[in-house]
Formats: sequence, C-alpha cells, structure tokens
Amino acid sequence: MTTVIRTTALNKIYEGSLRSQDVHALKDLNLEIREGEIFGYLGPNGSGKTTTIKMLLGLLFPTSGKIEILGSEAIESAKIKRNIGYLPEGAYYPDFLRGEEILSYYGRLYGLRGAELNKRVDETLELVGMQHARKRFLRGYSKGMRQRIGLAQALISDPKILILDEPTTGLDPIARKDIRDLLVELRKRGITLLISSHELLEVELISDRVAILFEGVMQTLGTMDELLTQRELSMTVEHMTDEIAASLEEKGIVVEDRTGIRALLRLPQKLSTYDAIELCQARKLNLLSISPRRETLEELFVRIVGSASESREVAQ
Amino acid sequence: MNYLSSAFGGPWCVAVYTYREGIRRKLLIGFLILSLLVIFGSSFITSFVDPTAETDIDLKLIKDICVTAIAIFGALITVYISASVIPAEVETKVIYTVLSKPVSRVQYLLGKFLGIQLIIIVNLLLMGGLFFMALYIRQGIMPTLLLWSIFLTYFEFLIISAFTFAVSCAATSPLVPTLQGLFIYITANLTEYLKDVEHRAGQTGQFLDEAIGKIATALYSILPNLQNFSIKMQIVNGQPNDPPTDVMIPWLVLYSLVYAVAGFACAYLVFRRKEV
Repeated sequence: MTTVIRTTALNKIYEGSLRSQDVHALKDLNLEIREGEIFGYLGPNGSGKTTTIKMLLGLLFPTSGKIEILGSEAIESAKIKRNIGYLPEGAYYPDFLRGEEILSYYGRLYGLRGAELNKRVDETLELVGMQHARKRFLRGYSKGMRQRIGLAQALISDPKILILDEPTTGLDPIARKDIRDLLVELRKRGITLLISSHELLEVELISDRVAILFEGVMQTLGTMDELLTQRELSMTVEHMTDEIAASLEEKGIVVEDRTGIRALLRLPQKLSTYDAIELCQARKLNLLSISPRRETLEELFVRIVGSASESREVAQ
Repeated sequence: MNYLSSAFGGPWCVAVYTYREGIRRKLLIGFLILSLLVIFGSSFITSFVDPTAETDIDLKLIKDICVTAIAIFGALITVYISASVIPAEVETKVIYTVLSKPVSRVQYLLGKFLGIQLIIIVNLLLMGGLFFMALYIRQGIMPTLLLWSIFLTYFEFLIISAFTFAVSCAATSPLVPTLQGLFIYITANLTEYLKDVEHRAGQTGQFLDEAIGKIATALYSILPNLQNFSIKMQIVNGQPNDPPTDVMIPWLVLYSLVYAVAGFACAYLVFRRKEV
C-alpha cells in the first residue's frame, strides 16, 4: 500500500522567551500513513497532535526532520495542497455567508471557477447532506450543520487526503454518528483520513490504525487488532454472595458490577472458558452468559498514557 | 491567462472576502456613522455663527469641519481595519483553512491588503460623497477640488495602512498594531517639524547640536510626510472647482506607492516564516 504521508525524525521545539523554557513539542516522530486508510491520531492535550498536523499543512515549520506528502517534500507547493483538505478544531465560518457561498469561496481558493466550481459545490453539499440548507445563512445553522459545512470546505477540491482535528467534539450523538458514517463513506471513495480526536469510541469504531502520542513521543502505533489484543472473558452469573465474591477476587477475578444476586465478572487472560464454567459449578453460580472481551481503545489509551506518565515521573 | 488567473485569482478572492467581512464590523460601522453625523451636522453648526461676521464664514466652517472629520475618522477606520484583519483571522482560525489551501503566504497577504484597501476606499467614498453633496447643494458648483482631496487622502491612508498592516502581521492581538498605527499617523503628520529642527541645528557648532541636525535630516528623508497630501487650506479658502495647487499629484501617488510597497514588503518579511 502506498504511503501518502511520511514523517522522518520530525522534531518541533517552541523557543521560550526570557521567562519561559523551550518546549520540545515533538520528538523524533516517525509516521507513515497509508493510502485509503483512516488513521486515528490520539494523545492527551499538549501531546503534539495539532503541532504535527500544522506542520503537515505548512502552518508551523519543523525544527528538524522531514515531511513527505504524496512522495514530495515540497509540502507548501500548490500541487500538494490541492490534494489536501483540512478541518481545524472549532474553526469559525462567517455568519453573513450562505452555505453555498462559503463553499464557493473555498473552491475559488483551489482555483475552481464557473461550471466546475458549481458542480463541485453541488456534489459536496450532497455528500455532506447539506443541499437543503445551501441557501441559508450560517447564523441559522446548528453546531452539527456548521461542522458539516466545515467538512464540505475541506472536501471541495475532492482531495486525496483529509486531515480532521476533533471532527466530532461538541456534537450530539446523532450528529456524531452522521459524521462518522460520512467519514466511512469517504474512506470507501479512496480518501485517506487522518483524524485527531479525543472521542476514542468514535476513533475505535472507524479507524484502521491508530497512533498514541504522549508529550511529543510516539508511544504506540498499529492496527486495532494489533493493539487491542488483550482478550479476557466476561461473564454474567446469578446467586452471587459476598463470600463467593471474596473467593473469586482471591483468584484474580474482578467483580465489575453487582446488582443483588446478579454480577458481571471479568476473568484474567490465563483462565479459559472451561475454567470459568468449572468455577461456576464449584460455587453453585448460575451462568447466564460468557463472552470474550477485548480491551477498548479507551482502556489502551489510559494504560499507555498512564504508564508513560509514570515513567516520566520516575525519570524525574 | 491561466497563470494570471492562478496568481491573482486567489488574492482577489481573499480580498473580496476580507472586504465583505470587514465592512460588517461594528466598530467600523460606528466610526462611519459618527463621521457621517459630523459631516451632516456641520450644516447645523453654522446656524450659531454670528450673522455680522465674514460673508462666507459659515461655508468655511462647514468645509473645515468636514475635511477634518474625514481625515480623523478615515484615519481611525484605516488604522483599525489594517491592525485587526490578520490577528482576527488567526484568532478565529480562519487563517488555517485558507493557508492550508493552495494559496501562498504572499498571495494571502496581498488579498488581505487589497481587501483592506477596498474597505478604506468605500468608507472614503461614503464620507466624501456626503460632503460633496452638502457642498454642491449649498454652493451650486461642482466641488471638484474635494474629489482631488479625497483622492490624495486615500494615498495618505495607503501609507498608514501598509505600515500598520506590517505591524499587525507580527502581532497576536490588534491592540499593539492599532497603537502603532496611530503613532505612525501622528508622527508622519509631524514630519514637517523635522525640517525646522534641521534648519535650527548646527548654529552653535557643538557636536550634539550638529548630530541632532543630522538625525533630523535622516529621519526627514526616511519618514513619510503626510502633510504633503493635505489641500485642506485650499478647500477651505479657495473656490470649490479650482484645480489643486502646490501639490504634484503624480509625484504624490508615486511617493505613496513607494511607501506602500515598502510597508507590504515588511509585512511579507514578517509573515513569510510566521508560525500560525
């Protein structure tokens, strides 16, 4: 698979003033994003996600290292920029313009004119489901509609790469799902998506690969299957008592939730399904359900960031 | 044709957007309304003039008030809009969506600067237009001299705008460039005094005295002299359809353009590697 974005030993140091120290925001970042994938770029606030994105777009300049987009290092050239769409986090779009006027403006910046521009505006509005509101002023748009128009401005040139910074933050669940479905549709059309987000569930649902960044250092990178490998068993049982719960916890079984006699148990990886059934039989527990449980992206994120944070504290 | 379209299409598009966005700013509208009120209200002020006074004193008063109002409010609008366009765009993050498109930094700056000029020109035309009509109705003569004055005032504002814009490219908020712009406007209106300093220096033969004279000469050569653009006295005292005297208009236009290009070059130097 072709690599569309590659960074090699990318570093960014924000120089401090007289009163403040330099901040090493990104440390030797090596990243490869492949054609046609959805790449989740994760990390806590201040980890360097937006810095990376801004450097990819030529808004910030690397202190050292190399960036290649679509095989070219000339990332500020019009030829490369023509193939990139970008939706920044919380961008403002002027209220006095109508939906279609915003798209015409951004389309013109891509050099689109006349019939070609009108065609692209129509297609993009259709794609983001905003045809019905094209004549309305933005002041009448909901937050979800504004985000769709933001996405539309990023898509107006039919880009090969789409970079999205927090595309679903602050949206209600329905708007979030709509945006998520749209992103999956865009992947089907062959667009490569780089998504930086704190909405880990959203990222987990649609991403092919994810990278987790902490304090400018890449902590992990891989496909969902590679990263979320810790498979445990989860089972629901009846007739749970305090004594049984205590004996189970001695064996490393976690009672995650308990309501009356019913309990949700999480078994450690070393126990098999047979072990679980034997445990229930031995304690006269009524087994209602048993299923394998994969670690969630959120759990992986918390584990990795927590561990990186602890390592830093030890080092200090 | 294609090359021209790709080189100037982007800047023009940014300019039109800047104009449409800028013209709606409340503070700018406030300045404009205030200036129009002053121009409109100047006719009423003349009713307080002593009837035994000089025959056309009321007309002189109107002219004086209107020319001053256009100069002051025009300068405030120029400074405010030139100082705020770039910092506002950074604050609202619109700049990210524009610079991530195939628009180079110089094209972006050019677009913004052109947009600012459109705003200044439209405001000047509105203020000047009202004054023009007021004079025409009162005197029944086409005040063509006023058109020349508006024309020259624009080129005066072009210099202020270019340097304020350059400062705004380095700033994170509009406050510093606004103050800087006002400082430039005031200083550039006082450049004439440097000539006096130059003439008076060197009379004692002392080193400090001579040095001050040389510094004054150097500053006078570098700084723009906005008094060159003023034909206020002729407007107030002369006939409204007289051609402008004591000014060489083509030379002043060139003079203004040279400073504007210098200001824009400074803006580009600052913005070329600015991290946004």
